[in-house]
Amino acid sequence: MPRIALPLIALVTAASRLAAAAGSADGAIHVLTRDAAGQPVSNAVVSLTRLGDPEAAPTPPNDPVPIGQRHQEFETYVTPIVMGTRVVFPNQDTVKHHVYSVSKAKRFEIPLYIGDSKETVLFDRPGVVTLGCNIHDWMIAYVVVLTTSHFTKTGADGTGLISGLPPGTYDLVVWHPLMTGTVQQQITVAPAGDATQVIPLSLHPDRRVRRAPDSGSSGYR
Amino acid sequence: MRRFRFRRFSSRLLVWIVGLLALVQGATYLLVVRTNHANAVRRINEDLNLGARLFAERVNERLKDLAVRAALMAGDYAMRELFLQDPIDPPTVKSALASYLSRMDAQVGSEPGAPGETGGSQVRFMVLLGPDGALLGDTGGPLPAASLPSFKKLISRAAAAANDPRATGAAQLGSDRKLYALLVIPVFAPQPEIVAWIGLALPIDRAFANSLKQNMRLDVTFVHGGSGGREAMESTLDSAEARTVAALATGAAAGVETIDLNGDPTLTAFRALPLPVLTEGTVTLALQRSLAAELAPSRELERFLRYLLPASIAVAALLALALARTVSQPVRSLASHTAVIASGDYRTKFVLQRSDELGRLAEAFNRMSDGLAERDQVRDLLDKNVSPEVAAQLMRDGAALGGEERDVTILFVDLRGFTRMSETLKPRETLALLNRYFDRMSGVVERHKGVVDKYIGDALMALFGAPVAQSNAADRALLAALEMRAALEDLNAEFAAEGQPPLGIGIGINTSRVVAGNMGSARRLNYSVVGDGVNVAARLQDLTRNPDYATAILVSATTLKAARGSYRTRDLGTAPVKGRAEPVAIFALDGA
Repeated sequence: MPRIALPLIALVTAASRLAAAAGSADGAIHVLTRDAAGQPVSNAVVSLTRLGDPEAAPTPPNDPVPIGQRHQEFETYVTPIVMGTRVVFPNQDTVKHHVYSVSKAKRFEIPLYIGDSKETVLFDRPGVVTLGCNIHDWMIAYVVVLTTSHFTKTGADGTGLISGLPPGTYDLVVWHPLMTGTVQQQITVAPAGDATQVIPLSLHPDRRVRRAPDSGSSGYR
Repeated sequence: MRRFRFRRFSSRLLVWIVGLLALVQGATYLLVVRTNHANAVRRINEDLNLGARLFAERVNERLKDLAVRAALMAGDYAMRELFLQDPIDPPTVKSALASYLSRMDAQVGSEPGAPGETGGSQVRFMVLLGPDGALLGDTGGPLPAASLPSFKKLISRAAAAANDPRATGAAQLGSDRKLYALLVIPVFAPQPEIVAWIGLALPIDRAFANSLKQNMRLDVTFVHGGSGGREAMESTLDSAEARTVAALATGAAAGVETIDLNGDPTLTAFRALPLPVLTEGTVTLALQRSLAAELAPSRELERFLRYLLPASIAVAALLALALARTVSQPVRSLASHTAVIASGDYRTKFVLQRSDELGRLAEAFNRMSDGLAERDQVRDLLDKNVSPEVAAQLMRDGAALGGEERDVTILFVDLRGFTRMSETLKPRETLALLNRYFDRMSGVVERHKGVVDKYIGDALMALFGAPVAQSNAADRALLAALEMRAALEDLNAEFAAEGQPPLGIGIGINTSRVVAGNMGSARRLNYSVVGDGVNVAARLQDLTRNPDYATAILVSATTLKAARGSYRTRDLGTAPVKGRAEPVAIFALDGA
């Protein structure tokens, strides 16, 4: 099956309405991802890395981030985290799971378990980690490990907000599981600026396996 | 040029029947041969196309089957762990792949040890490749390294196939450049994330070719075509034949060609390998079947026909001859019977116990011979009733009324004293006596080529010079008259011996121009003469009664004048004749 190439359309709108709301000179960026058909794209991770004046490494949250399993699916399809974040994989199903990753950014496995896994996994290298379950081929999830705290994941409406951005020039990177090629561009955040970044994405068809029909859950999330 | 004619009916019948039969059977034979040939060619054509399809199906089925097995392996967690270890552990990967190879080649669903079937060819080697096609591990040997470029091509094709990233192709590998079918399938972690590829190679070798030969009776040759020319790789043929085939394999085509293989016309289909060729050059699949082998059963039939057809012609010839005999035999005997009839034998009947046309012909023939006998009888009676000359003339000219003028010498002879004698005799004796006398007299007439015209009571009228003209008719009449007188003397001598009284005769002779011809009614005719001259002759005969003349024979002057011979005569002057103004000069004839 040939890939469907989706053209990219960009639109930048400058605005300053929300500058005062931030209580400082920090700006914000609204992102809106669309596919070639103009439909909003969810689960796209948009991150910004400040250029010229390196920021301090982001501080990971104290509590581990959960990626649960329910109805024999990962509850979150894409989970962006900052480097050094710990993740737990609570299993809320009635069957066991065997979560693994063979990705370079993080190789691990949590052998067959059920309920809350006692094991937390530390993601200490940047990159995309593909999660799978060894006994359920259709289960797939991604952890995007970032070196910046300026990121967002688009929702079902294809929008996301990155706020608290010190004015300056940023490197914008987008990642999506179905994305063909890369999206990387520079944007400038004005003091107390509030811009909307429309990001067109070129996606290939979803090739996830169809799960067995009697598995009691409904499709992908 | 003379037209040929049959001399015998049997030859004609034989030639026609045998000729017709030979024609029909010859045509039939040729038709059978042609049809057999056409059918054989059609059958081979079908089988060649079927064989090509079967080959493609077998290769693809086998590869599909292997793909399923390899996919199961790729999904195996332990294998995946092993394959993706960093750094990779080649000896372990090699042993694990070997272990899987033996698992995959287990003859699932088929009897163990059954050769030649789809599972006959064993996977030769397996490789583990990175997402970019780098070799991560293999089952050993030099072939995996050689196969890398081909697998890389396959990986790029497979990656392009969205939902089912797998690809197959063919490659020639190793120093002997053997042909392999290659397959790559992805290792997912999880799907659709491809983290590695598994490749395997299935030899397309003699075993494949042989299984096709066993099932389809087709010879199989794989021909490699490249910059170095064409060469046969694997073949069920011997190497010389395979070389011939390779030389002719100019490329894959849809049709079927006939090529000469050691003098044996062999139908050949050159087809492209049903897999894309990943290495240099082309690979052509040549499928063949010998026409002679295909025609062998038909040849058996044709040979049988070659014996049967002449045999049936021979039987038909014998039957034709027998049939001809049933016709020609009666016809021949009829012909010989015709000779019998021609010889005048009408009594012998032609016997043919048949009720068909020939039987009817025999009956008709017999009726004809009856008719001929009857006609002959009539002729005989005619001869007796009329003089033979008249009869002959009647037979020749028919009994037509008519006449002609002719010089005829007429002779009348009358019996003297017969009336008196008959008074003393019984009628039968009278008739016998008369007939005896007439017999002598007619005999004399005939001896002198005269014609007895008629009997008038005891008188006899004879003609000389009619109906057949005679130059010396007068002499004949005169000599006949003299002999009659002598014959009467002999007869009288006999009578004297019998105690009968002697008879006397009077003869009158005249020569005159008279009308001769058939006289009477249309139903009943007499050949005779009429004219004054006849009366004169009768009158002269009557005058012999005159004792003054003292002669039994009176002759007119015209007769003596017509006669050439010299006779002793006496001139008796003239005598008047009734109904005639001029008297007639008469002479007594005394001797010759």
